[in-house]
Amino acid sequence: MSDVITGQAVYDPRGAVEAEARPISERVAALKGLKLGVLDNTKWNGRRLLEKTAALMEAEGPFAEVRYYKKESFSKNAAPDLIARIAEENDVVLTAIGD
Amino acid sequence: MAQAARMVGGEVDLVEHYYERGFSDGLPVVPPTPEKIDAAVSVLGGGKDFVECRVPPRWGNLTREVLAINMVMAGCRAEYAPVVRAAMLALCDPHFNLNGVQATTHMACPLLVVNGPARGEIGMNAGCNVFGSGNRANATIGRAARMMLLNVGGARPGDLDKSTLGCPTKYTYCIAENEEASPWAPYHVEQGYAPEDSTVFAIAAEAPHSVTNHISDDPEGVLDSVCSAMSTIAHNNAVSSGSCAVVIGPEHAATISARNWTRNDVKSYLWMHTTNTFEDISFGHRYGKVYNRNIPRWYRREAGERVPIVPGPENIHLFVAGGEAGRFSAFIPGWGHMTNPVLRAIDGKAPRGGPVCVDGACLL
Repeated sequence: MSDVITGQAVYDPRGAVEAEARPISERVAALKGLKLGVLDNTKWNGRRLLEKTAALMEAEGPFAEVRYYKKESFSKNAAPDLIARIAEENDVVLTAIGD
Repeated sequence: MAQAARMVGGEVDLVEHYYERGFSDGLPVVPPTPEKIDAAVSVLGGGKDFVECRVPPRWGNLTREVLAINMVMAGCRAEYAPVVRAAMLALCDPHFNLNGVQATTHMACPLLVVNGPARGEIGMNAGCNVFGSGNRANATIGRAARMMLLNVGGARPGDLDKSTLGCPTKYTYCIAENEEASPWAPYHVEQGYAPEDSTVFAIAAEAPHSVTNHISDDPEGVLDSVCSAMSTIAHNNAVSSGSCAVVIGPEHAATISARNWTRNDVKSYLWMHTTNTFEDISFGHRYGKVYNRNIPRWYRREAGERVPIVPGPENIHLFVAGGEAGRFSAFIPGWGHMTNPVLRAIDGKAPRGGPVCVDGACLL
C-alpha cells in the first residue's frame, strides 16, 4: 500500500491484441500421390527457388499433380479467392520468398 | 483519469524502467503522467478506450489512451494529437500496406508531410533545415508515429522489422510544406482540399537525396538535376515502380515558376525525362529474365525501351519546403508498387468535391 501512496504510475504503450491464434495444418506423413500447389509470390528469385524446390520434392513423391499459382504482389496477402482455390485444388502447398 | 498499467516505487528511475520494458525507440522517453495522458485524450474528444485503428504487423489496438501514452513518451504537446491521429489513420489505411512497410527488408519508412493551417497552429517548421533537427512539433510528431509503429505495431528491429539496413528516418520523419514560400498551390489543394483544410500525407520512402544546382536559371536546367537523381537503377522505384516524392527548395521553385511553369508542368517534365532503359534495369538479362516482373505490365520489355521510374506524373508527389536561401531540392524514392501514399484530412473529412483548381487551371 505504501508503494501506491509513494509510488509512480507506469503505462503500457502497446495496446491490446485481440487476434485469435490459429494452429497450422498437421504435416503430411508422405508426399507420394498428393496434389502439390506452388504459390509464387513474384519476388525476384521466387519462381526459380520454387521450381528447384518442387523438383527436389518430386523425387520424394512423385506427386499426382503440381499446380502453380501467383500472388498479385509479393508484399500483400494473397487474395481470399486465390487461397480458397489453392486449398480446394491441392493437398499440400509450397511457398517461399525468394528475395 | 488515465488508468495506470501498474504502480512502481517512488525510487524507480522511470526513464530506465521504460528502457528495461523495451518501450523505447532507443532514445530516452518522457515518462507519461495521468495529467498529460488525459490532456491528449481530451484533445482527441475523450473516450480513452475508443479504438482508432489497429497497427500491423502486431495488430495492437490503438485506443485514444494508447495514442496519448505514446505521444507523451515521444515528447509531444497535447495539441499535436489531431495531427498524430491523422498520421496513424493514414498509415493504417489498407492502401498504405503498413504490414509490408513495417516488415520489409528494404530501408523505407513512412514520411509524413503536413499541409494547411495546422502547421502554424502547432508551430511546425517548413523552412530552414526542414528535414533536420530543432523543431519540437516536427521531431515529436514523427517520433510519436515511430513509437506507435514499434510499440503497438510490434516492429522491433530483427523481430517483425526485418530491414537489412534501416534508416535514420526511423527515429522521426515528419515535415510541413512551405506553402508561404511556394509559388504554387499547396499539395493538399492540388489533391482537392480547400486551402483552409489541414492534411497529413504519408508515403513509404527512403531518406531524401540532395539535388544541387547552382547554375541553371531556367526550369529545364533545375529539373534536369532532379531527373539525374531520379534516373538510377538502385532505388526501389526503378525495379518496383510505385510512387515517389520530390521536394523543391524555395529558390529552385522561384526559378521554375518565373517561367510560369505549374505543378503539373514540373511533375510531367520529371516523369518524361527520367531515363532508365529496360536494358539498365534488366542488366541486359545477364542474370536471366528476373528483373522485369514488378514493373507495370504495359511497359515494353525490350532493349532500348525507356522505363519510367513511376507509372505517371501523378505518382510524383511534389512539395515545396526548406529555407529561403540555397539552390537545393531533394528526391525521395518510394518503396514501390507494394504501397500507395495516403492523404488524410486532420478532421477526417473527404475533399469537398467540385472542380479542383490548381495554379489557375481547373481539372474537371
